[in-house]
Amino acid sequence: MGETLEVFLAFLRFGVLSFGGGMANLPEMARVIIGNGWVTRQEFADGFALGQFVPGPNMLAVLFYGLGAAGLPGALAAMLGMFLPGAVGAMLLVRGWEWMAKAQWSRALRKALVPISMGLSASMVLVLIQLSVDSLFWGGVLVLAGLLIYRGASVVLVIAGGALLGLLIALGS
Amino acid sequence: MKVPLGKLFSAFVHIGLVAFGGGGSAQLYQAIVLKRRWMEEREFLETTALCRILPGPVFANTAAHIGMRLGGVAGGALALLGVLTPGAILMLLLSFAYVRFGAVPGSLAESALNGVAAAAIGLILATMLRQAPIALDSLKAVGLALVVFVTYGLLHWQLLLVLLLSVPVGMGLYWQEAAIMPAGEPTSSPSGQGMEAVGRG
Repeated sequence: MGETLEVFLAFLRFGVLSFGGGMANLPEMARVIIGNGWVTRQEFADGFALGQFVPGPNMLAVLFYGLGAAGLPGALAAMLGMFLPGAVGAMLLVRGWEWMAKAQWSRALRKALVPISMGLSASMVLVLIQLSVDSLFWGGVLVLAGLLIYRGASVVLVIAGGALLGLLIALGS
Repeated sequence: MKVPLGKLFSAFVHIGLVAFGGGGSAQLYQAIVLKRRWMEEREFLETTALCRILPGPVFANTAAHIGMRLGGVAGGALALLGVLTPGAILMLLLSFAYVRFGAVPGSLAESALNGVAAAAIGLILATMLRQAPIALDSLKAVGLALVVFVTYGLLHWQLLLVLLLSVPVGMGLYWQEAAIMPAGEPTSSPSGQGMEAVGRG
C-alpha cells in the first residue's frame, strides 16, 4: 500500500508538471523513475516504444512504468496520477470559461507555451535518443523515419516499418 | 446540450479505441462535432486551445472538458475513463507480455522495440520540423525555446524550476501581443492545430 501511494504521488507530480503536452516531462520522468530503480534504462525506452502501439494518449506508457514499480496497483496509480490533474483542471474550466477565454494572461500564457513546448520537445528527443538509440544505424533510421513522416508518409506504416526492420535485423544476426 | 450518460460513455470509448497515431483530437472532432453534432466547430476549437494551457495530454483534457459540458461531473469522469480504457487495457496486456517474454536483451521483441522507438522519435522530430516555422517565428520565440532546451535538455535542471523561470518570462514577452484582440478572431492561436502531435501523449 505504501509503495502504491509512493507511485501515485510521484506520477501526480509528473501529471501536474506536464505542461506543453503530456510527453514534455519525459526527461524528468526518466531521471526520477530510473533513479528510483523502478525500471532500467532499457525498460524505460521499451515502455516508451510499447506506448506507440496503443490507441489513446501515448502517455499510457506510464502504466508500464507503474507496473514495474509496484505491480498492477502501481500501474493504475501511475495512470490516475498522470491524467487526473489535467482532467480535473479541464473540468473546472467549464465554470470559468468566459473569463478564461478573454483574459489577457491566458492569451499571453497560450502564446508563450508555443515556443516553450518546442524547447521541451527538443529536450525530450535528446533524452530519448540517449536512452534508446545505441548505434549509428538506428540513428540513421530515426532521421529517415522523421523525413518520411515530414514528407507525409503514414505514421502507422512508418512505425510498423521500424518494428519490421528490428525483427529482420534480429533474425539476420 | 445534455447527452444521456450511457450514450456519452460509449461515444468516448469508441473515440479511445480508434485514436491511433497522430493524437486523439482529430478523432474527438470527427465524433463530437461532425458525426454527432454535440458541439459547434468554433466552440470545439476554443476548447482545445484552452485545454492546451493545462498540464497533461490535450486529448484527455479536452475529452474530460467536453464530457462535463455534456453530462456534468459524471459525464466528465466517464469521458476521461472512456478515452483511456481501451488503450489502458491494451497497454497492460503488452506490459505483461513484455515482462513474460520480451525482457531479454538481444531478443526478437527487444530488437523490434528498438525499431519502433527510432521511428517514434522520428515522428516527434517530423512534428517539430513542421511546427518550427510557425512556433519559432520571432527572435524572442527562438530565445525562449533555446533557454528551455539548454536548461532542461542539456543541463538537466528540474522541470519545475525550468517552468517557473520560462513561463513568467514568456508571458512577459508576449504580454503586449496578448492585449491585441481584433474583433471576430477565434481564441485559438494560428499554430493551434499544428501543436497537436507533440501534445498528444
